[in-house]
Amino acid sequence: MEKKGLNRRQFLKLTGAVPLVAAAGSIGGGLVFPKGLWAATPKIKGPIRIGYQAVLSGTLAGYGEFHKMGAVMAIEEINAKGGIAGQKVEMEFRDSTLKPDDAIKNARYFVDSWGADFLCGIDSSGQALALAPVMSQLDRPLMVTHAATEKLTEEFVFRKGIKQIFRNCMPTYNDGNAAAFIAKDFPAVKWATVSPKYEYGFTCWKMFQETLTKLKPGVSFTAESWAPFGTTDFRSHINTILDAKPDGLYSTEWAGELISFLKQAKEAGLFDKVKYVMLPVGAAMDVLEGMGKDMPDNIWISARYYFQYPNNKENNGWVARFHKRWGHYPAYVSETAYSAIHAYKAAVEKAGSKDTKAVVAALEGMAMNSPAGHRVFRKEDHQAIYDVPWGKTKSDPKYPFKVMGNMRVIPAKEYFNRPPFEGPGTTPPFK
Amino acid sequence: MKAEARNAAAAVVLLALCAVPFLAGKFTVYLAMRIMLLGIFAVGYNLLLGQTGLLSFGHGAFYAAGAYGLGFFGLHVSGNPLFGVAAGVAAAILLAILVGYLCVRHTEIYFAMLTLAFGMMVFSLIWNAREITGGDDGLIGIMRSPVSFFGLLEIPIGTDRQFYFFILFFFALSVWAVHRIRQSPFGLALAGIRENARRSEFAGVPVRRYRLAVFVLSGAFAGLAGSLEALLESNARPFMAHWTHSAEPVLVSLLGGLSSLTGPLVGSAIFIAMREIIQRFTENWMLWFGIVLLVIILGFRGGVVGTLSAFFRKAAAPGEG
Repeated sequence: MEKKGLNRRQFLKLTGAVPLVAAAGSIGGGLVFPKGLWAATPKIKGPIRIGYQAVLSGTLAGYGEFHKMGAVMAIEEINAKGGIAGQKVEMEFRDSTLKPDDAIKNARYFVDSWGADFLCGIDSSGQALALAPVMSQLDRPLMVTHAATEKLTEEFVFRKGIKQIFRNCMPTYNDGNAAAFIAKDFPAVKWATVSPKYEYGFTCWKMFQETLTKLKPGVSFTAESWAPFGTTDFRSHINTILDAKPDGLYSTEWAGELISFLKQAKEAGLFDKVKYVMLPVGAAMDVLEGMGKDMPDNIWISARYYFQYPNNKENNGWVARFHKRWGHYPAYVSETAYSAIHAYKAAVEKAGSKDTKAVVAALEGMAMNSPAGHRVFRKEDHQAIYDVPWGKTKSDPKYPFKVMGNMRVIPAKEYFNRPPFEGPGTTPPFK
Repeated sequence: MKAEARNAAAAVVLLALCAVPFLAGKFTVYLAMRIMLLGIFAVGYNLLLGQTGLLSFGHGAFYAAGAYGLGFFGLHVSGNPLFGVAAGVAAAILLAILVGYLCVRHTEIYFAMLTLAFGMMVFSLIWNAREITGGDDGLIGIMRSPVSFFGLLEIPIGTDRQFYFFILFFFALSVWAVHRIRQSPFGLALAGIRENARRSEFAGVPVRRYRLAVFVLSGAFAGLAGSLEALLESNARPFMAHWTHSAEPVLVSLLGGLSSLTGPLVGSAIFIAMREIIQRFTENWMLWFGIVLLVIILGFRGGVVGTLSAFFRKAAAPGEG
């Protein structure tokens, strides 16, 4: 499993790093996961098989590799300490591409052919939504670690009752609602956006507008420029924004497209003219590393996990182990991948079984510690609640890229939509 | 091949296909369904490419029309899958008439480019009309209700094994229909158009109308495959209309062989099985898949079926080769 997608250098590092990892595991063993009484219950038949799929081809292939680093590391560490409930963990990793039919085929392969107990991964929202009915048919838990559409948990888990779906990454609430909580404290009143021309971009912008209007009546939204998937030339979008002369720019562009956008916007002097810039996925590791020192200062960024938050022993220890193992700082999908597998471990050991029904019941309402901090899986919609930071970009001599300064954390409970997800009192702000 | 031998072979294949859900594992059943869907798509498409000599890069649009047609019909009118499939095919036919009317006056590269443009137009239309189509999320939650004959008889198709026979029925029907079309005077006239359009015209064949007719026919099969896939995967998505999807029947027809009925079918089986096998060995499946396809297409002139049948003909009649 680990040798295929890695290059030779990383593989050599792996073989050399085994004692290191073991040592780090024993020193940095501050990871505390709730332990059940699995030893006293009937033995679970092993091995425990986890089918993981993420995008490994095309322009977003880097994300798949980041998923894999987190997942491989979790499994190595778990197996080194005796596995899940005493059973060895096996993983198969597949390229999900970005097409829903490929994701469905992989899921069916994992369950029907390979015999997976649990599924993980999924980058695109379209894939997640298409998979939901399939998962109820296949009857295996799926922990979504990247796709952010709130429809997945609100519509399929809560309203339609598809219990097999869980998500441990931030949904669009952070990109839309939390951004508004940060933006309300700026003097900016005129906002504009350059965002992806697909559901994710539309949804976040709408959420941002609605929440910000409630928090700060009087704001206006003056320009929208939608960039289709695969845009490389952002000049016309940048000009649209410059012409509108907004006080603030909000953008949910991400990955390579965000890098292109930022570089071109900097050249056009956009950051001199627009004082407040918010990038809900700007603190993704691929963007920070990709921009390096070219990243403009003083723009507000966030991500679904950021490696310097929380600043505690558990997270710092994990980041250090990760860096030693892979030569990278963990991307947010590395963290969600790592924590997803630990969530399954905790749930199986709590349930004393790996049967879908028991594991689903164990996961509902389960609390766990993870590198990203304290996570709780909300019972109603199976969405993990945890906090992520927002902050302003700044230089730090310790890193070859810009980091987050002036960190601000809005508690997730204050901006996550609440069940039943329609009617008054279900969207923030809550009184 | 003699007619009796051919019929016997078809019967054996049909029996084998009927046995699949009872003998094979769930995932194999699923793959067999995907192969049959691609088979319907490709065998209909090859009426246009192999039989008439027109290369279209826009048939994904009709596939999508079938899927969205079934989806909308299911959401707003009736969940009966038979009516849904009929609605999907009807939507595909309507779209094919419209697009075909504007395309068939051209041939070769102009025809290919026009169909490509129309296909991508449909793709952007679906992508952007998000209030209706759900945008890039697609239409989700399409249900498989039982097939009901006016309340008299209900056949459930909820499980994969039941649905397999639903697809097999349409697959057999499609292959038989395409076979009949190829053998009919209409089909022979199409072959005439492929060989020499001007001569056909002088012989009194209304070339443009024939081209439109076969374009719409192949669009109908694409729509059928699309509507069945929407039922299988419970969703319809814009990428069904994308050119990358339109290229699939071209590829599998080339793979199996353009000049026979079985070529696109064999091509579909190879295409899906090969990818599945390669994916078990490497995550870099795209690279290896591409290489294997290249070798087959370059190495087997006339496709796998074309090469094999030429080989057996030679073996059966030594000295004549």
